[in-house]
Amino acid sequence: MKKPKRTARLSPSKTGLSKSALPKQPVSNPAKVRIHKLSTGVPGLDDILGGGVPEFSLNMLAGAPGCGKTTLVHQIAFANATPKKPALYFTVLGEPVLKMMRYQQQFSYFDEAKVGTAVRFINLSDVVLGKDLAAVLEEIIAQVTAADAGVVVLDSFRTLARKATSDVGEVEVQSFLHRLAQFLTSWQATTFLVGEYDEDEVRDNSLFTMVDGIFWLSQVTERNSVVRKLQIMKLRGQATVPGLHTVRITSDGLQAFSRTLGLMSDKPKPARRRRLSTGIPELDNMLGGGILEGDSMLVAGPSGTGKSALATQFIAEGLRQGESGIMAIFEERPEGYTQRADSFGLNLKAAEQKGTLELLYLRPLDLSVDETMLAILEAIKRVGAKRLVIDSLVGFEMALAPGFRTDFRESLYRMIGALTGAGITILSTVEVEDNFTSLQFSHYAISFLTDDIVRLRYVEIDGQLRKMMVVIKMRGGNHSKDIREYVITSQGVVVIHPRRTDYAEMSTGIPHRTGPRKAQENEAAPEPKASN
Amino acid sequence: MRSIAQRLISYETPKNDSSEISDTATFQVTERLRPHLATLMGNGGFRALLARALKLASAEVSWLRAVEVSPEGVLEGLEKPHARLTPAQFHEGRIVLLAQLLGLLVAFIGPGLTSRLVGEIWPQLAADNVNFGNGDKK
Repeated sequence: MKKPKRTARLSPSKTGLSKSALPKQPVSNPAKVRIHKLSTGVPGLDDILGGGVPEFSLNMLAGAPGCGKTTLVHQIAFANATPKKPALYFTVLGEPVLKMMRYQQQFSYFDEAKVGTAVRFINLSDVVLGKDLAAVLEEIIAQVTAADAGVVVLDSFRTLARKATSDVGEVEVQSFLHRLAQFLTSWQATTFLVGEYDEDEVRDNSLFTMVDGIFWLSQVTERNSVVRKLQIMKLRGQATVPGLHTVRITSDGLQAFSRTLGLMSDKPKPARRRRLSTGIPELDNMLGGGILEGDSMLVAGPSGTGKSALATQFIAEGLRQGESGIMAIFEERPEGYTQRADSFGLNLKAAEQKGTLELLYLRPLDLSVDETMLAILEAIKRVGAKRLVIDSLVGFEMALAPGFRTDFRESLYRMIGALTGAGITILSTVEVEDNFTSLQFSHYAISFLTDDIVRLRYVEIDGQLRKMMVVIKMRGGNHSKDIREYVITSQGVVVIHPRRTDYAEMSTGIPHRTGPRKAQENEAAPEPKASN
Repeated sequence: MRSIAQRLISYETPKNDSSEISDTATFQVTERLRPHLATLMGNGGFRALLARALKLASAEVSWLRAVEVSPEGVLEGLEKPHARLTPAQFHEGRIVLLAQLLGLLVAFIGPGLTSRLVGEIWPQLAADNVNFGNGDKK
């Protein structure tokens, strides 16, 4: 074997220069092999796989019955098969082909025009039942050679292996797989073995050691909901996204939702960031000039304190500044939003028609968290949004199937992290109950998700239940510590008074007066007193 | 489906045969379908499908009741009826059985896929613009 060429380097003895004085010359290394990747045709899966399935690899698609193995492998076969490099689908004592074709053609990826030419089904059951593994291998080799197949599927490999193991033993099955893999790789075919396996078998079954990739499908049951999950347990030669990813089967086939939602880029926030106006000048002052671009702000408060009004003003101000926005709403209907905005003199409808604003009404129950987040992300891409409102986190969680709620905070954390990393400014609302003894930010442990927290609350003053706001936290800089009174008028949320110095323990909601009482007119009784 | 069956049978009738009815004791079209469908569904699968088609066809053509399907998926017991029946009666059995077989395929995998599978064996079907309909077995 020839030694790789190296670029000529100057010798210190020849130049008379010391070693350190020589300019550093790059050493040219031989180029690495570039592994091409097959697109799976499954939305979201290529991202999880780190780009796709490595060409010429031998992969195991495993899991319990009903997890979507056959659908997944069909989707991959149809996505990659061409008449010149067809996909050969060998069936072995599994689902009868007629039934498989009957059901699979219901999915949109199933292209009838490819059947028989680009995708060819071959039944190996007779060979498996009547002959030995050598004959099975011979038949596969003959078919693959004749067709010059690019993709090869063996469904179900488990059945074949089980039958062969009982006949000739495990070593023979391993030897068969070794020879099969050797042939198929040499023949430049990417192979998928489909099998019903338990997770416990992965450790003990040496077949899993031999394959290049393991795609593990499962169904997770929680309360009344069942969630399909996919895990890439192994994929030689490339970095996959670890963990369990949600999978949904629709009329289009499988769709995978990466745990990272395809948002791996963790761009550092620029050192100097703009401050964005909330649309409420006094609140901007309290925030030290506005929300820092790319921050996530949580507005927490009880019902009726104006969280949605504040969120609407935040979006409307962005639109005024030429920044597109998305409002993901889970409680109120979009009409309610636009009507409220109209009453504040903010015309959201015009922005919607212009395509600079989208109101996403996401209320159906049994959504998966990843699907919901994907809907938000797609809307952000569509309108090129710079501002996002999530109103509210409680409604968001309620819209999810119970099985997905445990993942809620984790997924939210990933989404908020990725979006703010990309420079999108997020305002989320959350409802909290005032208990008049302490000042809670949220019953969720989600304040860690946010850079800034604004707390709205009711405070009893002079026989009235008034509204106060305070900036609790601002990660990017200093902020006002004042507790400020505000009202909701035809202008929206308006901060009215400077901080009160004549009351103490304002944060409890039941402050006590420390200063002199100002003279004021008594408010008229709402109803006349009952008379005898 | 009957008209498609007739058309397929005509494709298999030798061109030098002046009559439209072949006088052999074989079901040529079914025989030509056998290896293709057996590749797809195995001998057992083809045998089961043909046996079902035979059962359905026997309700329409009584002499088919004497016919059986071998484990390899070959029709057996055709010689006696062939000797006993007129060519037209025997031919009717061919048509009805084939129509039932095609009807079953359409019922299971739809007209599109059936058309593709059959079209691989008889490419002239596409040229003749044959339509397998919308799942109607007849």
